[in-house]
Amino acid sequence: MSTLELQHRVEQFYYREARLLDNREYQQWFALIHPEISYSMPGRSNPMVDNRERGQESMISVERELEGVESDGLPYRDENYAVLWVRVDRSYKMNSWAENPPARTRRIIGNVEILEASDESLSVLSNFHLFYARPGLKDFFYAGQRRDQLIASGDSFQIKRREIVMDISTVNVPTLGIFL
Amino acid sequence: MKIDLKELVNDDASLISRRVWSDQTVYEREKRAIFARSWLFLGHESQIKTPGDFVQAYMCETPIILARGEDGGIHASVNSCTHRGLPVCRSDHGNTKRFVCPYHNWSYKVDGELATIPQERQVKCKPNKAELGLKKVPRVESWRGLIFGSFNESIEPLEDFLGDMTFYLGAWIDRFPGGIEFVGSPHRWVIDCNWKLPVENQLGDVYHGPYLHGSLIAPDSEAGKEIDSYAYNVIPTPGHGASFRLMPEDSPIEQVAWGFESTVGQLGSDELKDYLRSVQTIAEEYVGPIRARMKGLAYGVYPNLSFLWSNAGFKVSHPRGPNKVEYWSWSVVPADAPEHLKKQLRNNHASFFGPGGVLEQEDAEAWMQQNLGANIDFADDRKFFYGLGLGEEGTHPDLPGTVTTGANEYYARAFFSRWRYDLLAAEGEA
Ligand code: FES
Ligand SMILES: [Fe+2]
Repeated sequence: MSTLELQHRVEQFYYREARLLDNREYQQWFALIHPEISYSMPGRSNPMVDNRERGQESMISVERELEGVESDGLPYRDENYAVLWVRVDRSYKMNSWAENPPARTRRIIGNVEILEASDESLSVLSNFHLFYARPGLKDFFYAGQRRDQLIASGDSFQIKRREIVMDISTVNVPTLGIFL
Repeated sequence: MKIDLKELVNDDASLISRRVWSDQTVYEREKRAIFARSWLFLGHESQIKTPGDFVQAYMCETPIILARGEDGGIHASVNSCTHRGLPVCRSDHGNTKRFVCPYHNWSYKVDGELATIPQERQVKCKPNKAELGLKKVPRVESWRGLIFGSFNESIEPLEDFLGDMTFYLGAWIDRFPGGIEFVGSPHRWVIDCNWKLPVENQLGDVYHGPYLHGSLIAPDSEAGKEIDSYAYNVIPTPGHGASFRLMPEDSPIEQVAWGFESTVGQLGSDELKDYLRSVQTIAEEYVGPIRARMKGLAYGVYPNLSFLWSNAGFKVSHPRGPNKVEYWSWSVVPADAPEHLKKQLRNNHASFFGPGGVLEQEDAEAWMQQNLGANIDFADDRKFFYGLGLGEEGTHPDLPGTVTTGANEYYARAFFSRWRYDLLAAEGEA
């Protein structure tokens, strides 16, 4: 497959995923999830800049602010297939009060960049902007980057790893528990 | 505006005014009467192990640098330059010799002492640096590594303030021979609600579980039944509280063992289960027979610290005015657990609580909605009802404090009695 065609297919996959999520069709979305999924969102803090790194890009790298699954820090989320299923399942219960009435979301996925590709597996970056309006509350804005591993599945993909890097300092949204 | 505290909270604290949760004047008075005078939680010693280590903290809205000084001692200072007031520490955590203020580069040691004034050479009359350090938090004490500070120089010792809460906190902390450890940076979550509601929620509001969280914890679930049968709310001193299940003596070890009720316990690796079992097996040696049977729910330490035993987290509700909080959550693990198991255990907190947690998103929704109710007009004569189980509290031979079961709201009435007393006493009206 040509690079162009692969890029197109990955983008179409993400657009479809975005549509399912904004339409609250989480059960259909869940079919895009690989059973061995690692779904995580690193914590993000503001560590002291290391004097010895002045003059180098590493001094202000994004990585140093992240507390991801491999770190000794505290990720916001570190979830597997079962936990994601709990979240999908509760979305359709009358007494899931945080989602009833459900928030209105609209997301734009962009900057889709394929970093590595083999026949079975792709490593892909994408960015998102998401507008979130929960009835009865203010409106909110989410922005961040997704670092995915996609697995070829038929003529489409499944998500086997997703790390969501949120662009936030203090968490000023009502939940980080949404599907991103 | 003048406030009448006896109107805001009635004598048995069974009726609480909406203004308690929303009024700016009440909030200003809380600052003077409670936050300026009480012990307030700052952090844990595991966060500042080596000299030069620091973390940020807050005492109400006042930013604090909590640090391990070059002398090895623990210091807490107000993060505000003595020159023009800028925060001198601009990171959440780290290790340093000096904080350099951006504006004119005065520099301070981690313990808050003023080290250098670059402009000093250009003036004849030298400022007395010894008097110009950051404002110190005058009292700093710790218990089991939990560090508290107070702006009240004459406050009672921390251990007296905690009183029998040490019995209940120790029931968890003391079962780990190496003590406990805070994991990473706290999650800092801004929520539009009054600071007292997250506190009340953890202090003893066990019975909201099967209702607000009904989509995850059904009343007829194992966890729900266990709470119905064995849960106690104990109020050792008004304002503090501990809720837990006191499991029967013949309960299987897995049922008592800390953590087993959560998915970490249920879905965790066999190795993790073995670890949890091993901690429980020796618990009696460390905490005695009664406390070894305790399987905790949630605790509160007056005024704004919470400990969520069931999901191993400490939380502080930092006020940001009457209608906003910055709610901090730390995951906490046994210090001597194997490193790879700590990574599994930290999820016991973050998967359920904090801004990404599947449970606490519902609490936050309830708190934000309560804040709307607390701010409405034309309903001041319809106060919030805190009277469930009024007068039904009692004692228990093995549990120090006032003991309640079921939906008794004594824990909250006790909190608001102390709150009212403190607000009156601060103005000499008690
Ligand atoms: S304000 Fe800090 S040095 Fe001037
Ligand atoms: Fe809750």
